[in-house]
Amino acid sequence: MYFNNTSRYLFFLATVAISMLLTSCGGRQPNDDNNENGLTKIRLQINWFPEHEHGGFYAAKAKGYFAEEGLDVEIIPGGPKVNGVQEVVSRRVDFAIANADQILLGRAQQANVVGLMSPIQDSPRCIMVHKSSGISKFEELKGITISLSGGKPFVAYLTKKGFLQDAQLVPFLGGIRRFLEEKDFAQQGYVFSEPIQATTHGSDPVALMVSDTGFNPYTGLLFTHGDTIRDNPELVEKVVRASVRGWKDFLADPSETNKVILQVNEDLDEVTLTKGVAALVPLCLPNDMPADQIGKMTIERWQQLHDQLIEIEMLEESLDVKNAFTIDFLPPATP
Amino acid sequence: MSLSDCEDLDVSKLAKNVLPPLLLLVAFLSTWESVVWLLKIPAITLPPPSRIALAAYKNADELVIATGYTALASTCGLLCSVVIGVVMAAIFSQAAIIRRSFFPYAIFLQTVPIVAVAPLLLHWFGNGFQTIVMIVIIISLFPIIVNVTYGMVSVDRQLVNLFQLNRASRWQIFFKLQLPNSVPLLISATKTSAGLAVIGAIVGEFFAGLSTPLSGLGYFIMKSLEYKIDAMMAAVIASALLGNAMFTVISFIESKILARFGQVQSNVFQ
Repeated sequence: MYFNNTSRYLFFLATVAISMLLTSCGGRQPNDDNNENGLTKIRLQINWFPEHEHGGFYAAKAKGYFAEEGLDVEIIPGGPKVNGVQEVVSRRVDFAIANADQILLGRAQQANVVGLMSPIQDSPRCIMVHKSSGISKFEELKGITISLSGGKPFVAYLTKKGFLQDAQLVPFLGGIRRFLEEKDFAQQGYVFSEPIQATTHGSDPVALMVSDTGFNPYTGLLFTHGDTIRDNPELVEKVVRASVRGWKDFLADPSETNKVILQVNEDLDEVTLTKGVAALVPLCLPNDMPADQIGKMTIERWQQLHDQLIEIEMLEESLDVKNAFTIDFLPPATP
Repeated sequence: MSLSDCEDLDVSKLAKNVLPPLLLLVAFLSTWESVVWLLKIPAITLPPPSRIALAAYKNADELVIATGYTALASTCGLLCSVVIGVVMAAIFSQAAIIRRSFFPYAIFLQTVPIVAVAPLLLHWFGNGFQTIVMIVIIISLFPIIVNVTYGMVSVDRQLVNLFQLNRASRWQIFFKLQLPNSVPLLISATKTSAGLAVIGAIVGEFFAGLSTPLSGLGYFIMKSLEYKIDAMMAAVIASALLGNAMFTVISFIESKILARFGQVQSNVFQ
């Protein structure tokens, strides 16, 4: 058969086009498989290595609350490069954990993700400085090096507010080694993790809470795909109900769940975990919030976060925050 | 006028060289755009080319500065590599025993996992330009050492004899015979290293980049990765274009220098 050069070329182009089409398809449908016990298999992607930040979810699994709802939940550990929004959108997992700002910014990139419950009401995000630096508030962050994840909204917010203009920012590479070694060094952290580790290592950390500056997104938030809510609201309700039970349990008595967390995360030590939970509780139940309201979210706070993201130009266009979360699945005791 | 006559004209030559890649580009971009549209792929998974172009336009100022910074870091590192590489090759070319002793260690440069060493360099030298340049040097040095050494030792034996007959000193043999013989190889090695240098600069910025006062494409990519995937892809394209630009500049220098040396460069891609 004779092909001239042009038709060969067109044939090549067509091959390229078809292979692109084929490779772009695929992906897993959520909860389409059941295990041998008749439980529905669910994959939950957490946003970091297993720790107290995810305590309630581990409690719900360990205490059998998920199983009581007919669910077999696999909790998948995260890490610095894991993006829960991306995992849910590509349907590799059914549920995931993220912060509220990630939900809004994901939605701005056409990710149909919806927040379901927020166990951590007040953001644990902090800038950890040395006490010996004499710095005790954001206005004093001058003449030091601060290690931060450059693209994160809280960094943009602090920059916009002028708190970082006299400091040298460097990429955040994880860990606290450099903080322990250098006196004029500060870094980002979660108040219930890095400052506790630093203290354990004999350092003198002071945590400046980012939430004190007014930037306070819901943290450790459970979310899912909008299609899952549409197609399988019963499933969503079960997951949320069991998670809320797990969180109530964990905040009341974390001891058993802590053992499970220490098993799945060998890098975490018992002291850091125990002290960490103590620092976590007031963030989950701030201002004497009753425990039966665990997980609650308000439209005012979503709207405030949205407006802040617009202000710092991370959101380019306004979104309808009503679509970004739902409290319909929270148990009745939590309005 | 016959077809073969046509091919001699500049216009048709241009069409022959430019049209195929251009056509492929248009086909590729339109397939991409329509696949995203047809399968309703959200932008966070795969932004369409139009969205990437828009992000590039919106972030144009920052992208240009970042590209400039990365270009500077990779050029500095590459120039250092050329100087260090030529000096090392000159030493290597002096005796087989030196080559045999040092070469296994030079291979370390090629095999060292740069992402593993970068945090160590950061620890020793701190954040900033100097560490980024050092990473560029590590990643771009090896091709230069190997090729230039080869160029220096593969001199025609008879020419060496001729020099020696005329009582040429070791220095004269080196500067008038070995060094010129290695120039074409130096240039082609530099072309290989140019692409590596850009990669090195971006890897370096991942670890050792600074946010202020200037930052490069690596820092830009890292900070856009999570929330602005379209801007991040614009930066990826910018880095690829930067590598291409460096390659083109060196090819241009090559054509000038090799013409002087009376050698014709061959280009299989034309």
